[in-house]
Amino acid sequence: MTTSPDILEQLRREPGGEDLDLSWLDQPLAERGLRVAPGKRGLTLEDIATSSYGDIPSSTDNNTGRLRGAAPRTDAQRSQMLWGSKSASWSASAMLLYEEAVQRQWSSATDVPWAEMPELPEELELAMSQLCTFLTQVEFIAGDVPGKYAPNISGEFFEIGLFLASQIMDEARHLDVFRKRALANGIGLLQAGPGAIGLLTAQDFTEMASTLHLVGEGFVQSLFRMGEMFAQSEVDKRMFRLAAQDESRHVAFGVMHMKYVVETQPERREEIHTYLDRMEGQLGAGSAQAGLTGGGQTGEALAILLGGGTSETQLREGYMKLLAIRKRQVNEYMHRLEVVGLGDRRQKIAPMMLALLDPARN
Amino acid sequence: MAETDTQEDLQAAPPQIPGIPAPPQLDMSWAKVPTARPPKPKIGAEGFTLRLADAGEYAYAPDHWPYENDTPRGSYPAKDRGLPAPYTIYDKAEVWAENSADLYELAIREQWKPATQISWSTIEPLAGHIEAAIDQIVSNISEQQYNSNAVMMGRLKDISYGYHEVKLYLATQAFDQARHVEAFRKRALANGGGLGVESPGFFNRAVYASFKFTELVVYTNIIRTSFLLALCEMGDRIGRSQADRQLFENTANDLRRHLSYGIEHLKHYLLTGDEQKRRNVRAWLDRGEIMLAADMRRDKPLREAFILALGDTVERGKASLRELRQAQLRKLLRTLELATFPGHEPYVNASLRDIIDNP
Ligand SMILES: [Fe+2]
Ligand SMILES: [Fe+2]
Repeated sequence: MTTSPDILEQLRREPGGEDLDLSWLDQPLAERGLRVAPGKRGLTLEDIATSSYGDIPSSTDNNTGRLRGAAPRTDAQRSQMLWGSKSASWSASAMLLYEEAVQRQWSSATDVPWAEMPELPEELELAMSQLCTFLTQVEFIAGDVPGKYAPNISGEFFEIGLFLASQIMDEARHLDVFRKRALANGIGLLQAGPGAIGLLTAQDFTEMASTLHLVGEGFVQSLFRMGEMFAQSEVDKRMFRLAAQDESRHVAFGVMHMKYVVETQPERREEIHTYLDRMEGQLGAGSAQAGLTGGGQTGEALAILLGGGTSETQLREGYMKLLAIRKRQVNEYMHRLEVVGLGDRRQKIAPMMLALLDPARN
Repeated sequence: MAETDTQEDLQAAPPQIPGIPAPPQLDMSWAKVPTARPPKPKIGAEGFTLRLADAGEYAYAPDHWPYENDTPRGSYPAKDRGLPAPYTIYDKAEVWAENSADLYELAIREQWKPATQISWSTIEPLAGHIEAAIDQIVSNISEQQYNSNAVMMGRLKDISYGYHEVKLYLATQAFDQARHVEAFRKRALANGGGLGVESPGFFNRAVYASFKFTELVVYTNIIRTSFLLALCEMGDRIGRSQADRQLFENTANDLRRHLSYGIEHLKHYLLTGDEQKRRNVRAWLDRGEIMLAADMRRDKPLREAFILALGDTVERGKASLRELRQAQLRKLLRTLELATFPGHEPYVNASLRDIIDNP
């Protein structure tokens, strides 16, 4: 739909119309005539990524504030911070995951049945508070890290920026729900650990996807998905279930980004393996982040929760179950690597993980 | 699966789990750390809010946060804290707003879903030039919010962990702004139109170039949000459908929270310093106003879009644009008053004053 020359002429002739330029109406530089109707899931980002608005360039020199498809100005201010290449940040699932995030937001204040929380034996309550102290410590690192890259995302790839905002919102809720859980039953926060600051050392978006999304959040997601095993009540079950749902989006985003990079820039494979080497602890014990959900005080707290107490038998059972969780974490990690196209990781994986890995299926 | 796999080993000694050093015997030293025991919360109609959870000693946020890693406030810090983090903000005055925890919960209660909670099907075809004018206006809003959002998200990594309420609140703001980017873009593509022309980008550039966090808040949460809120509050004169009105109303509601954080933060910043802080705020306002005026002066498509959308004749459109510009400046001045920075009117930068009076 364009504006007829008659109307433009008429506007210019009106009183006050003499200073109107109207060239933006006369010869619009952005595509017009789109009438996108909502579908089953409402009016989604995927619906509007249509016609020229859906052309996501593999590289761009758009380094102004212009969002994809808008008409450019020749005098617009530039920022060299904006990345021009699609592979620097793109993830094919970003639009879908963003819309899912919007639809599946929940409230830590009202969607967890806090009022129904039972009184637990003190050792279990202490263990849950310790686990939640660990979780509240590390959760927002997963908000700080993606946030760090948001200023680099060109308007050409704005959907990535939107997804990152949804992840930051989710991580805020995770920091918050685990903090609340530690404070809900009279125990409070307990011993903080060394934390996850190492993840903030990422110097590249793909490095972030490998270290934070695939390894860090991947291991956390596997843990949350087994939350039924260590949750002590409906309150705890619901909390872990809701958090797992969010984590699966974050992991999926990273997996799809890595897949895109591996497909379009196979020369980066070995570089990605080095990030994984580091995360698996292969550069030296201090480099590992993948052990985060298992070691030290968190491991002991989990074992108590899994075994249902601190007696010798309960602890033994708890550690057995922890081993099962650990196995599942490592196997799901390997499965995600296969989806990414890095199935050859099996030959390079850290020995301590290899020991937990099921044999390859074929 | 887990249980059946390991059933027969249950009688054996605790397994050696690769990567998990099982303590030879129960340690539980973590259970004996001297942290505060919080009172049992009395959960009310709004659920278990952050305000309720962070009770007693947990509510106390110190003026200076001493830990350089991600130690949660109220926990017992580890002796070995690993790498000191890249955080740069350890002073409460640089980020704090007394209402952060409440705004955080409020934002979650008030979240809306652009895909499904806007009555998109109520949008009726409009005359080409009116549709194009609306598209230009919504394109500009989408662009502004993308800029504010991207830069603010990038600053989260500067804020130390002790002020978690602020980080949490800012996460809701980032998510609100993401939805503004998305919702207004959807509007531009829903009714036979498309996106308009990008902005000259002076104000975007100022946002990117802000050196201090409070400076960023002055640009995004005080200046830009005041102007955008006044615009959304006139949204019923720009929009032509129920969907348009919902977009402007929902966005205005979010922006009131963003403004509220800006006001309380600026208040806290000013309260905790000397005259130099007032001079800083004056300098930031001046810079922001110059950049805003530069955008307004050069952005012909946006100016003309307002004239066409706001009036049924060019003359009436121009009068309405003047009314809008005055409402925007009034909103900014009122915001500053509430932030304990009154009397700014005579100091409004001449370039902004000029474009407000002669839009
Ligand atoms: Fe999380
Ligand atoms: Fe996550």
